[in-house]
Amino acid sequence: MRWGIVLVIFLKELRESLRDRRTLIMMIGLPILLYPALSLFVGSLVQSRQASMESRTSQIAVWGNLPAPLSDHLKRHTNILLQPWLGISEVLRKDLESDTAEGLQAVAPTNSSSMKPDRSTDGEMAKDPFFIAARSLLTERKADAVLIPWPGIARALDRNGLGQVSIYSDSVRGDSREAERRLTEALRQYRRALVAEREQILDLEPGFGTGLQINNWNVAPNRRQTGLVLGSLLPFLLIVLTASSGIYAAIDLTAGEKERNTMQTLLCAPIHCSEVIGGKFLAVWSISLLAALANFASVAATTARMLPSEMNVQVGLSTYLLAFLLLIPVAFIVSAVYLAVAVFARDFKDGQNFLTPVIFLVMFPGAITLIPDLELNVWNSFIPLANIALLIKALFMGELQAELVFLTLISCVAHAGLALLLASRVFAREQILLGGHGTFSTLFSRTAPRNEDPSPALAAVVYGFLITVVFYGSLLLQDSEIITSVVVSELGFFLLPVVLLTLALGFSPRRTFALGRPTGAGLLAAVLIGGSAWTFIGGILIRLLPPPESFVKAMEKILLLRQDTPPLWTVWLVLALIPAVCEEFFFRGFILAALRRLGRWPAILISALLFGLAHASIYRLLPTLCLGVLLGWLVWKTGSISCGILAHALNNGIPLTLLNTAAQDSVADSASNPFLPWSLTLAGSAVLMIGILLLAAIPARPEDSSSPDRTSRGPIPV
Amino acid sequence: MEPVIPILEAENLERSFGPIQALKGISLKVHSGEIVGLLGPNGAGKTTALRILAGILSPSAGWVRIQGVDLREDPLQAKRRLGFLSGDTQPYQRLTPVEMLRYFGQLYQMEESRLRRRIEELVAMLEMRDFAERRCGTLSTGQKQRANIARAFLHEPEVLILDEPTTALDVVTGQFIIQSIRREREAGRAILLSTHIMGEAEYLCDRIYLLHEGLVFDHGSVGDILVRTACSNLNDAFLCYAKP
Repeated sequence: MRWGIVLVIFLKELRESLRDRRTLIMMIGLPILLYPALSLFVGSLVQSRQASMESRTSQIAVWGNLPAPLSDHLKRHTNILLQPWLGISEVLRKDLESDTAEGLQAVAPTNSSSMKPDRSTDGEMAKDPFFIAARSLLTERKADAVLIPWPGIARALDRNGLGQVSIYSDSVRGDSREAERRLTEALRQYRRALVAEREQILDLEPGFGTGLQINNWNVAPNRRQTGLVLGSLLPFLLIVLTASSGIYAAIDLTAGEKERNTMQTLLCAPIHCSEVIGGKFLAVWSISLLAALANFASVAATTARMLPSEMNVQVGLSTYLLAFLLLIPVAFIVSAVYLAVAVFARDFKDGQNFLTPVIFLVMFPGAITLIPDLELNVWNSFIPLANIALLIKALFMGELQAELVFLTLISCVAHAGLALLLASRVFAREQILLGGHGTFSTLFSRTAPRNEDPSPALAAVVYGFLITVVFYGSLLLQDSEIITSVVVSELGFFLLPVVLLTLALGFSPRRTFALGRPTGAGLLAAVLIGGSAWTFIGGILIRLLPPPESFVKAMEKILLLRQDTPPLWTVWLVLALIPAVCEEFFFRGFILAALRRLGRWPAILISALLFGLAHASIYRLLPTLCLGVLLGWLVWKTGSISCGILAHALNNGIPLTLLNTAAQDSVADSASNPFLPWSLTLAGSAVLMIGILLLAAIPARPEDSSSPDRTSRGPIPV
Repeated sequence: MEPVIPILEAENLERSFGPIQALKGISLKVHSGEIVGLLGPNGAGKTTALRILAGILSPSAGWVRIQGVDLREDPLQAKRRLGFLSGDTQPYQRLTPVEMLRYFGQLYQMEESRLRRRIEELVAMLEMRDFAERRCGTLSTGQKQRANIARAFLHEPEVLILDEPTTALDVVTGQFIIQSIRREREAGRAILLSTHIMGEAEYLCDRIYLLHEGLVFDHGSVGDILVRTACSNLNDAFLCYAKP
């Protein structure tokens, strides 16, 4: 792929798109207008509604005889108007006046402190005649609330007893909710005054009647409370608007080109399909990012104006910048998916029909932040788009956790890569590209001749899929025995799939898994490297990014250091040999073979990076990446997976043996000193250097290709 | 003197679309300095054949060589030697003709100085000065087709593949296009032309391939074909062949 040609196509597509009025409106016009309009319109509406409600007097139907002091107290509240016996039937009135209403004490709430309007709208209460009458009155809006002072209240209060009142309100009506609130507050004031008076009369200690004062404090600072509101709404809006802005460009650059018959003109130019998809993708991605930027600028400006005055709080520019950075993978994924889907369309209208369902698919994960109390965790950190939405929410709330950020970003890289591969695969299909009758199933037809290496595209798809399976599988197995969990994960998720895939697709197992016979020098290098790499990792690399204590304790559990001491052969089998075999077959076998055509060092480095990312921890990334480079080079140079397996097994087994021995012999907490002593580190590093020099001295194999294949004819077929 | 080196060669081309076999094995040659016509009724396989020859579609069987370069083995090199023009192709609506020419010039990796010179030459030759800096979406059909022709001729390809280049054009513009094609032949290009207009084919083509149901059922010079069919014009000759 020639990046110069990709750039030419990208600049042309971007120029054309930016000259389109509809793209500009979606990209810039809408965001700039939307947020200020929303804040002004919604804000004004809410404010005026609030003002209107506050100025309105609540109409309270009073069914019963209020004691005079209570009546006077309520009348002093000018926002309440008492309407005696409003809307009550004669039968019920007679009951209340004559103290003969049946089941009055049962109906009247026994827990008078919980005067909530949302109590019991079904069941027993719904059969009560007063409830039914109150419901009817309020539904017909003849009053805002109904107050029933139950018979005997005056007598009870006179005798320093318990008087009972009931308030009926309609929670669906704002004015009824306001009436209920005002009435409750007024009655509470009366109750406080009444209790204070009784305490004085009876010469009791102040607080006798209350008993226990409960003070509730909300420790969440304004900033965090604001963050919760912004973090719930903004990710959804931002993701949907960013995603929407790319749709038109994606359709125009694919189905639009087909409709105008310019696609075939482009294809007869001396360019690869991969360059076409590269240029078009960059254009759609850029437009989505420009839209994201416009959205952010508008949001930042709107909230910068509103928040200080309304809530006495400010959100920092860095928060917005970080949130914008998090939208980059969102724009990447949706742009690739749009292109892949839109290219199936034959014209613009077809394209809109194809992409409308896709927009809904984007909206749903984006809306996850609207669910209360749902936060980013290990389970949802791998769900595309939803994880970003939750991460932005966590950002606004100031609750980022390094491990979850890391997992989310790995997931984004994997999903983005898969999306781009899908788009690339679609573009490689002539039928689809030229407006023919290509179907979705043609994407999965195999065009490459058998007995070649797997392709980088296939490796990426397999990696993305299996890593997701490993991730969720490990979570499901986390309550199982460590031994069971490790064996199932390694054999079931790493080894078996790639072996079966290799056989099913007809790749040569000998070539794919480097099953060649190792030389003596290769084996010696493997022993030296595997036997000493852990000292370099444990002594130097870990010091660069020391893990927290919680991480160390978790690792000890995984490494069986906190259990009844398992036999050493178990440790070697489960934690050294099985992972070595399975992971070497996957990473230095299948993945490295697939990347072979990129050249030696790109293949080794990429496979090492994937190896590091697969360990799903930011603290393990650097050590495992470095180990992956060593193992990759070892297998490449020797042409034998057995060297990689040997080195990997030794790298795992030796330190575990030492740690297990130390755990048996002493009660020292290894978490207190996770680093190796310098003496051991230096000695081990010297041995490692010897191993590396020995490996470098091994002559290159005849079939060793250290330069990439430069006769690529387009997207590498899967 | 008749040229003998074929610049464009195709042998036994086949192409299927699902159960439909559009091409059943056609072979043809085009030499430099000649115009070869590809004629046939609708559904004969002309467009499929031209797309394969232009490298847009790949054949199910057979090969194509352009100046000896195999189109399948080295598509980039082969495509650098050919220019493609279709009657129904639209230029990019939001680019000007000059911007479009610059774009394709960059795709063909032409040197900047050569690109600039060629653009000026083509603007003058195709009388595009009045609209060269206007967006293509505002141009008339004839102006758009001139812009398309300029794009196809831009990199001075050895081979030109033209699929009904005068479709939907008025007589004047059509004639202008025909004269441009003739000029390219004089310049030594190998030109493969598909057209429905028999009169155009008679006027322009040195040789003709007649296609029907995915096969070549006759080829030769216009004169030879008229003699073989005992007809006075290509239209009648074609109808002779097309009769069951």
